[in-house]
Amino acid sequence: MPVIAATTQLTCFGDGSRTWAALTDGRCGARPFDAATAARLNVGATYPIAGRADRGRAADWLATVLRAAAAEAGVDARRERVVVVVGTGLRQLADVERWALDDTPCPVDQLHFGSAVRAALPGVREVVTLANACSAGGHALALAQDLVEAGEADVAVAAAADTATLSMQAMIGKVADRPTARVRPFDRDRTGVLLGDGAAAVVVTPVERPGPRLAHLLATGLSCDAVHETAPDVGGMTRAMRDALLRADREARDVRVVVAHGTGTALNDPTECQAIREVIHADQGDPWVTALKGAIGHTSGAAALCGVDIAVRGLRLGAVPPVVGLGNPLAEADGVRLVRDHPVAVPGSLTQINSFGFGGVNAVTLLEPAC
Amino acid sequence: MLTATLALRGWGIHLPESDPSACRPDAAAELLGRKGLLGRDDATRLALCAVHRALGLEAGVRPGGDARTDVAVVACGNLGNVDTVADLARTATTDGVRAVSPLAAPNASSNVIASVVAIWFRFAGPNLMVCSGAAASYDALATAALLLRAGRARRVVVVGAEAATGTATALYGQSLTSGAACVIVESAPDGVRVRLNGSVPAPVTVASWGDCYGAQGLVGVALAADRVRATGGPVEVSCGGGTDGYRSLTVSSGSVGAR
Repeated sequence: MPVIAATTQLTCFGDGSRTWAALTDGRCGARPFDAATAARLNVGATYPIAGRADRGRAADWLATVLRAAAAEAGVDARRERVVVVVGTGLRQLADVERWALDDTPCPVDQLHFGSAVRAALPGVREVVTLANACSAGGHALALAQDLVEAGEADVAVAAAADTATLSMQAMIGKVADRPTARVRPFDRDRTGVLLGDGAAAVVVTPVERPGPRLAHLLATGLSCDAVHETAPDVGGMTRAMRDALLRADREARDVRVVVAHGTGTALNDPTECQAIREVIHADQGDPWVTALKGAIGHTSGAAALCGVDIAVRGLRLGAVPPVVGLGNPLAEADGVRLVRDHPVAVPGSLTQINSFGFGGVNAVTLLEPAC
Repeated sequence: MLTATLALRGWGIHLPESDPSACRPDAAAELLGRKGLLGRDDATRLALCAVHRALGLEAGVRPGGDARTDVAVVACGNLGNVDTVADLARTATTDGVRAVSPLAAPNASSNVIASVVAIWFRFAGPNLMVCSGAAASYDALATAALLLRAGRARRVVVVGAEAATGTATALYGQSLTSGAACVIVESAPDGVRVRLNGSVPAPVTVASWGDCYGAQGLVGVALAADRVRATGGPVEVSCGGGTDGYRSLTVSSGSVGAR
């Protein structure tokens, strides 16, 4: 069973510990667009990482989290066989958009993250960029674990990075009744999703490797709905959950904490509640359920690993942060124990992280405390 | 990633620029049937055609029945959705989202090829899209090998596609060839097989059909599989580029390739 030797993230609040602090304080990192932009896009806000708006933003953030996680885990890519699997929803398509709008050069070989990772971790054996929508990071973590378990890497790093694109925000605005000001996961009056900037890195190693052990990485279950490109499907979600439990050799009733996908959209949140009920509640489980997107926005392909980073911190601190932005839970959440207003104390125990993406791609990760 | 040998259970090639029997993306309905193609980008259409051919389906036939949860899809390609992304950015900036078509939504996500193949042909196993540049085809086959080894699927449909649209060609900055290929792989390496040899310092072959960028390696493997079936092989092919490095693959048959 591999372990997570290090984990970090970068969001609108800063690094992993700052993001944890913001969540436990119940802060929302949304920044409103100016009135003209909001009207043009029909999108009210975004959750930006402060700093320059130049080309290659996502690659810069990826390099930052990779260096931090590698240092924390004591990884030297020149001495160990290190493989990096990068999950991303939107790659560096923001640079394609700038190129389309004002001819700013956009090198095609930097649409993916191979050269950025090689520069950040000299000596890295392989870098693969997966574009797997909003569950990309979860898919990267599944492959990272597979690589370590197959003995193909001494260290496999699942990493993710995304910056909001105009094109995806246009699609969000297209389906919104009015511009959304903030994400409100599982709220009765939720008005839709907003994008956030984000990056995260999770270092996976065999348990025997000397170094820090933050959590046991039990398994990541994968599935594809094969039903609809943009609408979620409860059958696909439950299959990924059951795949994770089967691979982890754990019972659904033992899941104590769920870091939900929770996008604050009309479709995801009730469907996800139903999936949690069908798998966990039907097995007499009753986990605490939280979600991050009300605080940090939807960080697209980074969302799953942002969730893993928070889950690992929660395991170690014995706490679960609240769902920021949740006032009145939706009717379909009846019986689902959402964490509200303040963190709850939960001794480190079996924790599930959900991620569901466009195209019906689902990844569900299970973690346990490292002994 | 890992080196491995995989059995090729089927393959299909769709190269409309050099093969008169391969329909162009705007005529994909000839092969795929009319329904479901509205709003699909060219690369997705080409990918569907390659999978259709690999499965040996009659024109216009689409598999029905329950989705197969033991069949995974790994797609590869880099430029398939750049037209949609560039167009959406321009339209949203000049005319606002009211002018944007909702049909564009699936194409705004870079994994559209993988997910549409899954929906179209009813493959509900793990579904991944590799966008790692010039060596994406190799990485897709390595990912398929890993899925099989980890017991995540019994069979993997690996499909690559690029379309030489105006935006894709301008962004690529050199000649880009429209094309797609699909190989269906399993782990027991009997019959026609492909071996993933890892990195090589330079390309080992000259591609006569052009440059399909992220699909190049899969087109090479599928064409090599045709040759191996006809002549016995083995045939070495490669993919990659200056920034992403080069990878080598060997296609052989059970009788000749076995040592």
